[in-house]
Amino acid sequence: MRNRRMFVLMIVFILFVAVMGFSITDRKKLTWPENFALDSTSFVQQWLYRPAGYVAGLFQDLSNLHNIYKENEELRIAAAAYARDSIKFNMIDRENKRLQEKLNFTERQKKLYDYNYLIAQVVAVSQDPYDDTIRINLGSKDGIKLNMVVVTDKGLVGRITRVEPFFSSVMPLTKMSPTSPDSKGIAATVLGKELDSFGIVDTFDAETGKLYMSKISEHDPLKKGDTIITSGLGNVFPRGMVIGTVESSQVGDFGLTYTATITPAADFDHLTEVFVVQPVETEESEQ
Amino acid sequence: MSMQRIIGVMLLFFLVEGTLFYWLVPSSMVDRIIPHFTLAFVLFASLYRGRHSALILGMAFGLLQDLAFYGRIIGVHSFTMGLVGYMTALMMERRKSTLLMALTMIGLSTLVCDAIVYMIYRVFRLTNETFEWALYQHMIPSLFLQLLFSLAIYVPARRWFEGSFVAKKEEEES
Repeated sequence: MRNRRMFVLMIVFILFVAVMGFSITDRKKLTWPENFALDSTSFVQQWLYRPAGYVAGLFQDLSNLHNIYKENEELRIAAAAYARDSIKFNMIDRENKRLQEKLNFTERQKKLYDYNYLIAQVVAVSQDPYDDTIRINLGSKDGIKLNMVVVTDKGLVGRITRVEPFFSSVMPLTKMSPTSPDSKGIAATVLGKELDSFGIVDTFDAETGKLYMSKISEHDPLKKGDTIITSGLGNVFPRGMVIGTVESSQVGDFGLTYTATITPAADFDHLTEVFVVQPVETEESEQ
Repeated sequence: MSMQRIIGVMLLFFLVEGTLFYWLVPSSMVDRIIPHFTLAFVLFASLYRGRHSALILGMAFGLLQDLAFYGRIIGVHSFTMGLVGYMTALMMERRKSTLLMALTMIGLSTLVCDAIVYMIYRVFRLTNETFEWALYQHMIPSLFLQLLFSLAIYVPARRWFEGSFVAKKEEEES
């Protein structure tokens, strides 16, 4: 009897290790039971998450009421600045288009940096400290694909790691680590110094709550207070998404490159709405 | 209370974990207080029902959690919740649990469960945190939540699990 119990336990243990090892690999497509479980739980969860979010948001708004006046003033100044800039932007944009025509850019090259922003509602958030997954209510039926980037109005939140027909999972930046098999480093640069600056954002330190950008050359003009954005090099992540601000820069592990500490711009807790950045599809890029 | 009803209540708490409860926790404590509501029910099952129902409940709800929030790996919660439920039941089988004993066992088992989950993630190199940090950061705060929650549901949960079991036994005897 004892032996049989031990035997069953061992078999179950081996089975679980096999399942874990299998599920950890980079799986593009899920089987239908997984899709069903994921989609149906999310379907129910959305009726709980959103009302709770609205109620919590209401209380937060009430406590923030006295800041509204000041914020409004700041926003007005910002809006005026944007109005001035938009004229400039339109002219540069037209000029850019004309030059692209002249240089015979292909359709794909022209649309490389055009993005659609799809609004998605958060449905549930995983309660596992090692596996934060944010579930959103857009899926492959809405044109979501793997590795699309998810942002809020403040900055980059994460990327899509699982896609089911009606819902998908987002892995937040807080789970980035160079040693884990499923995270991808983000090619990044400094806003305003895009041509001179380059580094890879690939680590999040949970103990300090900061991101680390590594592989920065020693001639890099990066300094404290700079805004770090995605560079779009490598074409996995879109260009120009805000990641955070530089807090400090120090010599890296081997003394050849620099490592910068970055305070993330986006808030990862209590999200209600996020945007999925969708590159514009052309016939060429589908092939 | 029949098993179907208990499963219904557990499902409800499972859904609340990632949605309503998440909004009740203040922003600064979100990644520190982690609810283990379904685990509490599994442990009540192992204290007042039997090792097999605890094992099955633990594995089923663990698998549900693994699937519903499939981010990186499947099977971690299923394995740990099943194992912890079974082991607790095995230890407590011949003893009668009072309130204090039940709370102590639930607290200990929750800690063990958290530790096993941490170790699995560590083995697969999905986390770089040190154990001390994880213990201080989220295991101990969540332990307090777990104890409070178990205390709150102790009376009804015990009645549900014990009640239906006793009724079943009497049926078999008669």
